[in-house]
Amino acid sequence: MNSIKMSRRTALSLPFGLAAMHGARAADTPRRGGTMVMIVHPEPSTLAHYAVSAGNIPPIATQIYEGLVTYDWDLNPQPNLAKSWQIAPDGKTITFKLQENVTFHNGKPFTSADVQFSFMEVLKKYHPTAPVILSEVYAVETPDPLTAVLRLNNPAPYIMKALAGRDLPIVCKAVFEGTDILNNPTANKPIGTGPFKFGQWDRGQAIRLDRNPNYWKPGLPYLDRIVARFIPDAATRSAAMETGEAHFAAYSAVNYADLARMKKNPILGETSKGYEMTPAISVLELNSKHPHLDKKEVRQAIAYAIDRKFIVDNVMYGYGVPATGPLSRKFAKAGFYTTDVRKFDVPDRLDIANKLLDSAGAPRGEGGVRFGLHLEVNSFGEQWLRQAEYLKQALAQIGIDVTLRSEDTATWLRRVYTNYDYDINEPFLSQGVDPVIGLNRQYLSSQIRKGVTFVNDSFYSNPEVDNLLLSAMREPDHDKRAAMYVKVQQILTEDCPLVWLVDVEYVSIYNKKLHDHTTGPLGTQQAFERTWMEA
Amino acid sequence: MRLIRYIGYRLLLAVPVILGIVVLNFFLIHLAPGDAASVLAGETGAATPEYMAQLRHKFGLDQPLSAQFLHYLLNMAHLDLGYSFRNDSPVAALIFDRLWPTALLMVTAFVIALALGILLGLIAATGRNTWRDGVISLVSLVAYATPGFWLGLMMIVVFAIRLEWLPTSGFDTVGAYNEGWAEVADVARHLVMPAVALALFYLALYARLMRATVLEQAGMDYVTTARAKGQTERKVMTGHVMKNALLPIVTMAGIQAGNLIGGSIVVETVFGWPGIGTLAFDALQSRDLNLLLGIFFISACLVVVINLVVDLVYVTLDPRIEI
Repeated sequence: MNSIKMSRRTALSLPFGLAAMHGARAADTPRRGGTMVMIVHPEPSTLAHYAVSAGNIPPIATQIYEGLVTYDWDLNPQPNLAKSWQIAPDGKTITFKLQENVTFHNGKPFTSADVQFSFMEVLKKYHPTAPVILSEVYAVETPDPLTAVLRLNNPAPYIMKALAGRDLPIVCKAVFEGTDILNNPTANKPIGTGPFKFGQWDRGQAIRLDRNPNYWKPGLPYLDRIVARFIPDAATRSAAMETGEAHFAAYSAVNYADLARMKKNPILGETSKGYEMTPAISVLELNSKHPHLDKKEVRQAIAYAIDRKFIVDNVMYGYGVPATGPLSRKFAKAGFYTTDVRKFDVPDRLDIANKLLDSAGAPRGEGGVRFGLHLEVNSFGEQWLRQAEYLKQALAQIGIDVTLRSEDTATWLRRVYTNYDYDINEPFLSQGVDPVIGLNRQYLSSQIRKGVTFVNDSFYSNPEVDNLLLSAMREPDHDKRAAMYVKVQQILTEDCPLVWLVDVEYVSIYNKKLHDHTTGPLGTQQAFERTWMEA
Repeated sequence: MRLIRYIGYRLLLAVPVILGIVVLNFFLIHLAPGDAASVLAGETGAATPEYMAQLRHKFGLDQPLSAQFLHYLLNMAHLDLGYSFRNDSPVAALIFDRLWPTALLMVTAFVIALALGILLGLIAATGRNTWRDGVISLVSLVAYATPGFWLGLMMIVVFAIRLEWLPTSGFDTVGAYNEGWAEVADVARHLVMPAVALALFYLALYARLMRATVLEQAGMDYVTTARAKGQTERKVMTGHVMKNALLPIVTMAGIQAGNLIGGSIVVETVFGWPGIGTLAFDALQSRDLNLLLGIFFISACLVVVINLVVDLVYVTLDPRIEI
């Protein structure tokens, strides 16, 4: 993908270039002031970013809570609250030197004690995913106020990819110490060190963030305010962008179907940048407790029967790439991704699929039907129903009669992940910043955990894969680690516990008056400290 | 005196009704599969089992249903609507924040629908089979048959995007922070489209109903008597026919005032109006049971009060009805 290989410089100059074409006097000197209105969809239920990690929280919360580092376009860590760091040769000690003169929004100075408290007392205990990232960290030592030392049981190379404010936010110890952390009064009035302070939340409408005049980066941020607006209806969200009422909409808050029209609008621009650290794949989970789905040949046949390009073009409106296996292509930059696997998008795929089913002892019966399966339709948006409708037709070609079942989110999740009362499930899996996050929870046999959402519910259990995944987790040598993940991808595409459909591409729509809105690989999930607006 | 006693009596009767609704709601809601913890964990993408257990404990979902019910009744006895864990906020605060935009939208839509509906119905009836009647009947038929969400979207396309007269959505201009009359004017501008979109269906209904009842009443003996007494046509219409024709409208409006609370979900969604309808929908989707029960409770109270008001309006309109 070109957009990913683009160097940092070209990437940064892109918004300027577009602006220059648009406005005659669009200077490239940032201007102080202005209110940026961004659309966030759906409205977050809470801003307790340290305890809930739903995707609609970070666009707001990362303006307030910062992390130890940020990431450049090559996904390398860059100083933020940590000025520098050193990893011991055995990989079991990471020492961070912290930024001086940083204060929280309540006036308290930021010190290593806040790092220790955030990691050990808040994130490791109450965050949904941080306990995995911090699993090897047994202590954070604070030899002086500006030094924090992470002590690890085993090397954990993925930690250095997860230190941004999105994944491991730093909270103020004085605010949380001695309180019931899950019921802290600042849950919805967050206090952090970030460029913007929490202003006001009008439920059902908007959240206002105000410029932090005491921000530790001199002269920043440029904007006076950020307003996050919530508009439940997709058509109205598009309309708000088209009239210029809102300036920024990320994470496909705008319907794919409306994008073609918006591209023609002279005040709007679009970019697919800013999603380099949010890989996600849409998949089919196959319940291997089902008498047919327990056979590898049947699962492979399903993988062959699906035309992924068709889904990309017609369901995703071109925003995505056919998935080749269990890892997103976004891991190519880190060297983990491989295409040297069993390929399902081949010209004679339907013949192969039919032969596989014949050999698996599932002959065609009356009306050419071999057997029937239920497909649980993903409840997070209309596109999944459309994908399901296509899948029904695709699988009919090889004699599998699919019945679609649409339920609301709570019912759907209960049916699949607690009752296991499903044949095919159609989720959308975000893969985190390192393979350890997406692969381990999906394919480790220890992750067959009743009642937990988005873990191994296909009952996949392969000791070799278990072994590889657990070794790769602790392997400090990058090349050896990459080789293990390549092997895992090859085994998985052969075993086919899941069918991988589309490596998803998101898109951000912006008003051309807005500049420097996408300054790093986390896009809208990092601070808009350098974002500015034309008058 | 008699009136006050009557109101007291009705309010007393309302207590068991509301209590029944509360109890029924509680068990009905618990029949829905899935819980708030799994939805929250689902949105999170991945969550450890410890995290989910922690959530269930925090939400009180690890307690037996009977204990949850007892806890809920105790809270209600203190008029405490409980705490929405999903929103990290007391239920009462969430509801009252959203109640007033809904009330504003409802009342405006209701007034538009009633006033214009009655007026148009009257015009159509007095000019029966003229072009006025034809146009009004046709328009009300179309308005009656048009879905509210489609109408809303079309209004956005025409008035917000093409003509740029009105804002697309929201309660007021975000980031403007107007004060005083500027804020009133701003809210009014935002109110126009949702109120009209919501009102149009009811307006059509009332226009048709008004037309029919006026025509029905116009043939009655008392109208002939009034004319025979030598009263002007205008007096016959306002003093006699209209008063009687309004009774069915009031009945209908009374029933629909309750509907408007629910019917506004669609319009609130399209126009991003921060009302109680979208709040209820979100609460249902996310199994935020405390919040949902709170909304049901407040809605039940509202319906009871509206019914009482309607009954009182009857009395003033028609002295034959006794309380």
